[in-house]
Amino acid sequence: MEYFKSGLKSVLGGPPPGTNPTGAETIEKLISRVSTSTLLEDRRDACRALRALSKKYRIEVGAQGIDVLKQVLELDKTDPEILSYCLDTLCNITSKEVFEEEMESDININVNIGEQFSEMFLKNPDNLPIILSYLEEYDFRVRWPAVKFLISLTTCRPKEVQDIILVSPMGMSKLMDLLAENREVIRNDAVLLLIHLTKSNANIQKIVAFENAFDKLLTIISEEGYTDGGIVVEDCLLLMLNLLHNNTSNINFFQEGSYIQKLAPMLILPDNLEEIGWSPQKVSNFHCVLHLLRTLVSPNNPAQIITSCQKTLRNANLLESLCNILMATGVPADILTETINSVGEVIRGNLTNQEYFANVLAPSSPPRPALVILIMSMVNEKQPFTLRCAVLYCFECFLYKNEIGQELVVQTLLPSSSGNTALTTGQLLCSGLFSSDSLSNWFSAVGLSHCLIENPAQKEQLLRVLLATNLGAQPVTLLSQCGVFLQHTSKLQAKLGILMLVSMWLAHCPAAVKIFVNVPGVMAFLTAQTSASEFDNNAELLQGLCAFIMGLCVLFNDNSVQNYSKENLSQLIEKRVGLETYCKKLNEISRHELYAKAAKQPQIKAKHSSELLLEFEFCKLFKSMEGLIIQALGVQRDLSNGLSELSLSDHENALLLQYKDLIRDQDKKLQDWQRKYNFLEKQYDEVKVQADELRQTNIQLIDQNTLLKAQLSTGASQVTNTVQTAPVEPPPTAVADDHVISLERRQSMENARLKQVEEELAEKTAELESYRRDQDDLLELLTAQDTRMCKFKDLLRQLDALPDEDDSSSDVSDNENESGP
Amino acid sequence: MSYAYLFKYIIIGDTGVGKSCLLLQFTDKRFQPVHDLTIGVEFGARMITIDSKQIKLQIWDTAGQEAFRSITRSYYRGAAGALLVYDITRRETFNHLTTWLDDARQHSNSNMVIMLIGNKSDLESRREVKQEEGAAFAREHGLVFMETSAKTAANVEEAFINTAKEIYEKIQEGVFDINNEANGIKIGPQHSPTNPSLPGAGGSGGSQGSSCC
Repeated sequence: MEYFKSGLKSVLGGPPPGTNPTGAETIEKLISRVSTSTLLEDRRDACRALRALSKKYRIEVGAQGIDVLKQVLELDKTDPEILSYCLDTLCNITSKEVFEEEMESDININVNIGEQFSEMFLKNPDNLPIILSYLEEYDFRVRWPAVKFLISLTTCRPKEVQDIILVSPMGMSKLMDLLAENREVIRNDAVLLLIHLTKSNANIQKIVAFENAFDKLLTIISEEGYTDGGIVVEDCLLLMLNLLHNNTSNINFFQEGSYIQKLAPMLILPDNLEEIGWSPQKVSNFHCVLHLLRTLVSPNNPAQIITSCQKTLRNANLLESLCNILMATGVPADILTETINSVGEVIRGNLTNQEYFANVLAPSSPPRPALVILIMSMVNEKQPFTLRCAVLYCFECFLYKNEIGQELVVQTLLPSSSGNTALTTGQLLCSGLFSSDSLSNWFSAVGLSHCLIENPAQKEQLLRVLLATNLGAQPVTLLSQCGVFLQHTSKLQAKLGILMLVSMWLAHCPAAVKIFVNVPGVMAFLTAQTSASEFDNNAELLQGLCAFIMGLCVLFNDNSVQNYSKENLSQLIEKRVGLETYCKKLNEISRHELYAKAAKQPQIKAKHSSELLLEFEFCKLFKSMEGLIIQALGVQRDLSNGLSELSLSDHENALLLQYKDLIRDQDKKLQDWQRKYNFLEKQYDEVKVQADELRQTNIQLIDQNTLLKAQLSTGASQVTNTVQTAPVEPPPTAVADDHVISLERRQSMENARLKQVEEELAEKTAELESYRRDQDDLLELLTAQDTRMCKFKDLLRQLDALPDEDDSSSDVSDNENESGP
Repeated sequence: MSYAYLFKYIIIGDTGVGKSCLLLQFTDKRFQPVHDLTIGVEFGARMITIDSKQIKLQIWDTAGQEAFRSITRSYYRGAAGALLVYDITRRETFNHLTTWLDDARQHSNSNMVIMLIGNKSDLESRREVKQEEGAAFAREHGLVFMETSAKTAANVEEAFINTAKEIYEKIQEGVFDINNEANGIKIGPQHSPTNPSLPGAGGSGGSQGSSCC
């Protein structure tokens, strides 16, 4: 505390004596100084002080300082020192870890303080690119804290950082350039940063791979001494794991880019390993390498990728190295376990690799196949549980899609292979099958069942296997012994193991069914279990499996055993168990939690031996058979329909319901169709009416057309005189409609003009008429006047005598009357 | 498996123009008629021979959708070649070429060889963009041009191989700095120590990659 105070004194100047400023006040002062000071030195000093206080007074600095610090990052770009203080401070306040210096009282509320400050900083998407740009600054004081700050942010808020980096131009490229950094601190931190960034983001993973990450990481790994290297090697491997996990595109790239070959040196154990031993770091590194290999050939990947990776792994001698580790001495148990798992997945479903593995010999005397050594430890109670699981998985992988391998194992059990006293896988499995260790029973049963998967020939072969149980007693078949053991053992795990083996055996194999149903007491046992009603300690699994086996006995029955023919067995199920109960029991299996767990992946994943009850391949078989069994029981029912309707069994009821549903369904469909039909009929009527209308209008139009044509021809003869262009000739019948229309239009125009002319004519005639009438009137008037004038003339002549002048004046008035209007 | 050179390609262009189909046709000699949207980026690889030298092509097939554009940008820098694809039956995919080209030129290294590809040449009846238009665009922007059909495989091999030839020539001319892996070119493992025909480091000569068209 004293140190801080003296430090602050020098920065802030001495406080007035007697008063002790609180942390918050000090920080307030410092922040105002950073934001207002004009002198770079002052700002720099204030930032330095903030950095010093940012751990202890994290909340205060963070709450008040983020914006100011960001401002410095934007404005003081050229001063590495202040940038370094700034970035360090930001890194501290956003850190996920809790600092020792932090006040104890704060710790409670501090739980997520780093995340909250990270969120605040990332809220503005423009902030992160500023930090990214400082990755390009070569100065150590800037670049390193920038990387560390990014780690802080990514640890707290990975999703947000990933999204921003993806959209910021060259964001990922800048990060990838850091892997070539020659200052190791920065480079190593860059690897850490990339590990965080590539978590569950396929896009970033692909970009990182595209930017030559595998080359760069493998270079670093080799420089650091491969698996003997320190934690940096582990980090690099973890990053590679992130890039490859569930990323088909990157796995493809890894395989295509010949990177698998470059892993080879990491799997070679030094000769003097026993002297140097396994350091914890070496164990971690080795784990990562094995994990990496398994990621490439994981059964979850597309088959094509698995095959090509398996091929490359063999050709690059990595399979050989793995097998060497398997047989080496002094390998830690967990590494050995993981190696066994890896070998399993490298050979799984790949005939060449499986053959290679079958021929691997252990350096024992006499040399034994590695497979035998492995099976020995599987049926050995003293071996660690996980190791035994791994061996079973490896054995399963060896048998997967490997008919030759399956045959090899079964052959070791057949009577013909006498004279050979060496321990064989088959013998080991058989002894494990009936040993007193229930886990061994389970492992052996499952192992043996894998010899029979999709292999009818081996199912028949295995039926020939005879066991000598007691001295002097008749040898019994393996299958019978299974049936007997089933009834004698009290352990659930052993029973389930045997039942799974039997179910695999019976499926598609009537010969096996025939032998099995004849085992004394076995059908009674199965019926009793299936109709039992206890529900404790996973007993429902046992009941379900027994039901399943009964179903298989019905399904694959060739009716060769009188008492247990198809019909007898299904009646047994129906009468003794009841179909409803039977179906319920069958359903219990797929509803069980352990079923879901086992069906998830081929590898046996259990934390404790008591969890090992069901197995992957059995789940597959069950899934494919369940429906068939129910169907078979139903069909059987129909064949023997001696029952009246009243005594309908549950199954029949179900069937009836099914039919009712079907009928209801069909009824509904029928109604739908009826409705559709009505609708269509209505539509049809409407269309018909419309068509009639159309036809009528069509006729009308034709009539009109002929009428118009006629008019046209007549009109033409009328109009020829007035129109020069003479469109009057009757149009040829074959002319296109539009021609007719144009003609019609022209005709109607002509008609109109004609009418106009006629009108004019009538007008003119009327006028003429009125003029004529006027003229007549006038003429009459004239004659009247003439007569009067004659009278006057006579009168005048009688009075005087002047005849010549009057004649001429009457002529003039005549003329005027005619030309007036 | 050994190779003299390794070239990194990217395939870009609007969504649905057939980028993934081109890649599938080239790497697997298959055609997939159903459009399965590419998410982010997918990887494919094949070996070819140029000038009796084995050349490994690593091809990243990008998503054409706008939403993935920023992700696609991350791939420009490290690529030696790019196939810029449009669909001859959809005019708008041709119209968007300038945007793509700007994006590519802005984010890639200046020597990246860009091949313009008018895909779906089998759909002649639905053609909306004339071959001459594509050729003219390519000439104007200094690209190599070709019409292909991922369905019938017409010109698909040529498109990838000609791009590789172009890059190979640029290497011979010393335009590419082959020691910088960020250019999308890698020398094969057995070739790296001695190869007389290769120019030394920093031989980044003139950038006028003459594109014939």
